[in-house]
Amino acid sequence: MTPTCVYMDNAATTPVDPRVAEVMIECLTADGCFANPSSTGHAPGNAARARVEKARAQVAALIGAESTAIVWTSGATESNNLALLGVARAQRERGRHLVTARTEHKAVLDPCKQLEKEGFEVTYLKPGADGIVRQDAVAAALRNDTLLVSLMQANNEIGVIQDVGAVGKLCRERGVLLHVDAAQSAGKVRIDVNEQCIDLLSLTAHKAYGPKGIGALYVRRQPRPLMLPLVFGGGQEWGLRSGTLPTHQIVGMGRAYEIAGRELASESERLVALRERLWAGLQPLGDIELNGHPTERVAGLLNVSFAGVEGESLLYALPKLAVSTGSACTSASHEASYVLRALGRSDQLAQSSLRFSLGRFSSESDVDYAIGTVSEAVRRLRRLAPSSVAS
Amino acid sequence: MPLPGYSPLVEGYFTHPAGAGPWPQDAGPIAVGDAGREDLGTRVRFELRCVSGIVTGARFQAFGCPHTIAAAAWLAEHLPGRALESANPMPILELGELLEVPTEKLGRLLVVEDALQAAVENARLIRRMGPESNAEQVQGI
Repeated sequence: MTPTCVYMDNAATTPVDPRVAEVMIECLTADGCFANPSSTGHAPGNAARARVEKARAQVAALIGAESTAIVWTSGATESNNLALLGVARAQRERGRHLVTARTEHKAVLDPCKQLEKEGFEVTYLKPGADGIVRQDAVAAALRNDTLLVSLMQANNEIGVIQDVGAVGKLCRERGVLLHVDAAQSAGKVRIDVNEQCIDLLSLTAHKAYGPKGIGALYVRRQPRPLMLPLVFGGGQEWGLRSGTLPTHQIVGMGRAYEIAGRELASESERLVALRERLWAGLQPLGDIELNGHPTERVAGLLNVSFAGVEGESLLYALPKLAVSTGSACTSASHEASYVLRALGRSDQLAQSSLRFSLGRFSSESDVDYAIGTVSEAVRRLRRLAPSSVAS
Repeated sequence: MPLPGYSPLVEGYFTHPAGAGPWPQDAGPIAVGDAGREDLGTRVRFELRCVSGIVTGARFQAFGCPHTIAAAAWLAEHLPGRALESANPMPILELGELLEVPTEKLGRLLVVEDALQAAVENARLIRRMGPESNAEQVQGI
């Protein structure tokens, strides 16, 4: 039977796990935990507060942190902004230099650009052809006035895993703060903020089968980095992030992270097998290239360039397969993925790449469908192209 | 149902592009026109067969977005029967309107138009040089 649509875009977002939805619903209606968790003068408020603190402990447990180091935010974008802008603005007298990588998410790069407008200097490191930023490149970039290094643990486009622990040790020795964007890695890759010497860590719920609109920033407690808030108001979250706490979303994130932690090992093994089945199934096409490190990457993500086909047409030829392309080609600029370009891919190969991101609900039959429909589309588009392109 | 951003006409020509692919090797004199670059995202080639200054058959090859493929396919379908002097069945911007091509992508249709224009020029040259000439001799002029 042909499926309605096979979803392989879990790196963009995941569906909410029914086990997560179940606890979220308990916090919405009049007979549930709907009260404001800051209203601790009455029983419903205290009940909501208890659910929020339980979730805080669940999130902290996934990353080996103390509960009191977790600050709720609206998602990883806000967490990244709070970490970068908050630290830099508070510590501008101590230093005005930051280090990050060219392949970071826009939610890191754009705050860095904002800081440049505010008088800071930012070094953007170029990764190797495998997408990994070498530790010695980070070491070489550090200066006496470097405040903070920001690196993602797993890249959102190619899935390569950065050894943030090695960078963390280096930063700790040099007295530089390390911020890690873990939006793509939380629940997929082991994180221990103490062992990995991480000072700030951005998290989101919706890429780990939790709800959209909720995330967290881990802020090391001992010693706590000096930071300024971005949002002012009721002084919630130790004054770092004002605003009424959304109990149902927080509870959902806590439950999602608890499940992710418990199932991390078995799920990783299952997803690696599915990913390898997909990669092997695409091989007969020929002229395909894997983007990123062959082994150091998150279990379910496969980014492949298909020579001789144009990215937008490839995506259009796959109406029943939800994947993303390396091309922002619906715009006039026809700009290729800046991540793939940073890895040294040509514009053409960068534009003709597909990111398959498998997830908890992906099956072998989904993978087999993807192999079949992608192979058919690539062969058809290659036949359609002028011969010198398709060769 | 077409995906957002693509009209039913684009979907139809993208899915079933009549006239796609090259003519067979033994098809006789063929005028070829090529334009664009794959590293810039769009490359199109037209191949025309003509008799007495009339296009009798047209085929195309395209590396490009669905709008590009649809525009080339539409032109290939509407070229037969037209005189070389007025071969283009529709100004390219009007074709863009017909296919509901977004304004920011109209530049890609100009590549399609350039390829067709090159093929028409090539056909005129073949005609002037006589039936013994072939596309290989005049291609790229």
